[in-house]
Formats: sequence, structure tokens, C-alpha cells
Amino acid sequence: MRKLMLLAIPVVLAASPAFAQSAPVTGTVNIDGSVAGRCTFTLPSVTLSLGELSLSTNGKLDTSKVNGKTATLTGWCNNTAATMSVTTTQLTTGTAAPTGFDNRVDYTATAAANSASASDSSLVAGAGTPSTVGLFTGNILVTLSAASSPSNGLMVAGGYTGNVVVTLTPTIAPPPL
Amino acid sequence: MKQTVGLSALAFLLTAAPAMAQSTTATGTVAIDAQVRSVCILGNPNPALVNLGQISAGSGPRTGKIDTIAPRTVTLPASFCNFAGSVVRVTTTALTSSDTTSPQPGFTRAVNYTATASGWALGTTAATSAALRDGTSPSATGSGATQPLPKIADLSVTLSSFTTPGDLILVAGNYSGNVVVTLGPAAFAD
Repeated sequence: MRKLMLLAIPVVLAASPAFAQSAPVTGTVNIDGSVAGRCTFTLPSVTLSLGELSLSTNGKLDTSKVNGKTATLTGWCNNTAATMSVTTTQLTTGTAAPTGFDNRVDYTATAAANSASASDSSLVAGAGTPSTVGLFTGNILVTLSAASSPSNGLMVAGGYTGNVVVTLTPTIAPPPL
Repeated sequence: MKQTVGLSALAFLLTAAPAMAQSTTATGTVAIDAQVRSVCILGNPNPALVNLGQISAGSGPRTGKIDTIAPRTVTLPASFCNFAGSVVRVTTTALTSSDTTSPQPGFTRAVNYTATASGWALGTTAATSAALRDGTSPSATGSGATQPLPKIADLSVTLSSFTTPGDLILVAGNYSGNVVVTLGPAAFAD
């Protein structure tokens, strides 16, 4: 019986180091990142060919060759405050226009995307008023309208060129205070 | 260990800051092209028919020969070409008798005249018919100077200098002729 008591002592001694340990500790890695506001055109350039611009009956502008004509760009913006604006450049040809003739065709272009639209008239210099297009991806439909020539005169013969530039701007909304 | 984590996070924030400030504006372009064909249009002639009436003298030493006929003017209003480099061409066809029988010696069945177009380019465009007394070779053509700009104008065509070959006696009957005015590019084919 005495022998058994002696054997029990080493067991108690061996257990004591475990009682001295502290609670588990944790280290935390906080992760953050950002996505820049961005707009991109996935189809950035198309050509809209209007064909013959003058009426065969009287040589003046055939507005039906311009009004209602459409072209589609595609793109996206990834933030809700993104804006869209339009800048038009009138159709012109290189030949001078004597009295009674016109060598310029003005028009309005309207870009529509994500239930928003923005427009600009080539009669007014600079871009049109931007509108909020928000976060979207898909088509930007450009439609021409309100065609006119300066004097409703005879159209000078030749090739005519112009363009519509649609600008998507990922406007950054100020953070809430 | 805590310090190490803290420094790493700070470093990440510093590198991320420029990306947040970035904002990429994108533009898409719809190029538009079109054409206006080259065209010339002549206004409707006014008057469309020039009636000279009786053209032979009814009395005096010229009885039966061509009388003095005053010039007649026809206007083609608002004629235009919408390109640079156009010309007017005039083709006259002599007045000839509806009776196509070859006339007896001393007689003629042809009346020549000059048609002169004005109001287009510098100078005028004229053509004088030179039909023979039997009415053959009745037509003549003249071309004007090149108009260097697109132009719209009222073209005038004056008929004048009515004569007969050899100043012969005119065969009785109805006479008719015409003037064709052509407006087109300088290089157009006759």
C-alpha cells in the first residue's frame, strides 16, 4: 500500500505545468479594397451612313434622311452617379456655299441608356447638358432629329461628314457626412 | 505581432488610395457620313413656245422673203447646278417648213437664227443655225464658259438674227424649230 502512494506523486507534479497556461490569443488581418468609378465603351465607334441628303425634286435638304436615324454604341458605368453627355458636330462638306446654297446640315442627337437620355444640338457650340445615367451596362442608342440647313437652300454637292460623341463620366458621389 | 499587422494594413491603404481617386471618362463616337449628288436643274422655260407669227414680208420689195423679226427672249427661272464646274450648251435647230418637199430654185424652206444664252458663266453662249435652203443640216451647238461655283440664276435665251439661206423666198407653210438648252458639268458628253 505504501508503494502505491509513492507512484501517485509524480502524476501530480506532471500535471502542474498545464495549469500555468494563459487564454488563446487572436491576430486579425483587416482587408479592404476599392473599385474605382469607371465607365467604358465596349463598342466605342460606329458609322452611320445617311446616304443621299438632297431631294431630287428641288435640291434642298431631305430631312427624312437624317431625322429618326439611329446608331448603337455599347458600354457600361459601375457607379450610380455616372453621367452621360452628348456633343454633336454638324455635317459639312468642303465646298464653299454661294448665295442660295448650303453646305452644312445641323441636327440634334439624343443618346439614351438605362432609361436616361442626354442630347445636344449642333446649332449650339459645346456639349449638351449631362444627365445621370447611373450604373448600367448595355446599349447607348443615339438618335438624330431636327435636321436643318442654314438657309433651307440648295445643297452643295459632295460628301458630308459629322459626328456625335457620347461621353460617360463616372462621377464620384461625395461620401455621406 | 500586432504591430506587424497594423503596418501591413497601413501600407495597403496607401497603395489603394490612388485607385479610389481614379475616374475614367469614356467616349464613344458615332461617325456620320452622307452625300449630296451633283445635279443641275433648269427652270421651266417661259414662254414655253415662241410664236413668231407671220415671218415673211407681205408687201414691198421683200415680199415673200423673210421679214424683220424682233428678238424674242425666253427665261428659265431658278436654274441651278450644285457643284463647281458647270457649263451651258445651246443647240439651235433651224425653223423648217412642214412641207418637206425640196423647194424649187429661188425658194427656201429654212429659217436660220441665233440663240444666245446668258446669265450663267462669264460671257454668253451662242449657237447659230446654218441650214441649207432645203432644210438640211439644220442644227448647230455652242458651249459657254465654265461656271466655277455652284450657282442658281435665271437663264435667259434670246432668239435673234433670223435669216434665210441666200435670202431666198420662203415656201408657204408652217415652220417650226427649237432650241435645246443643256446645263451640266463641263466634261459632260455631247
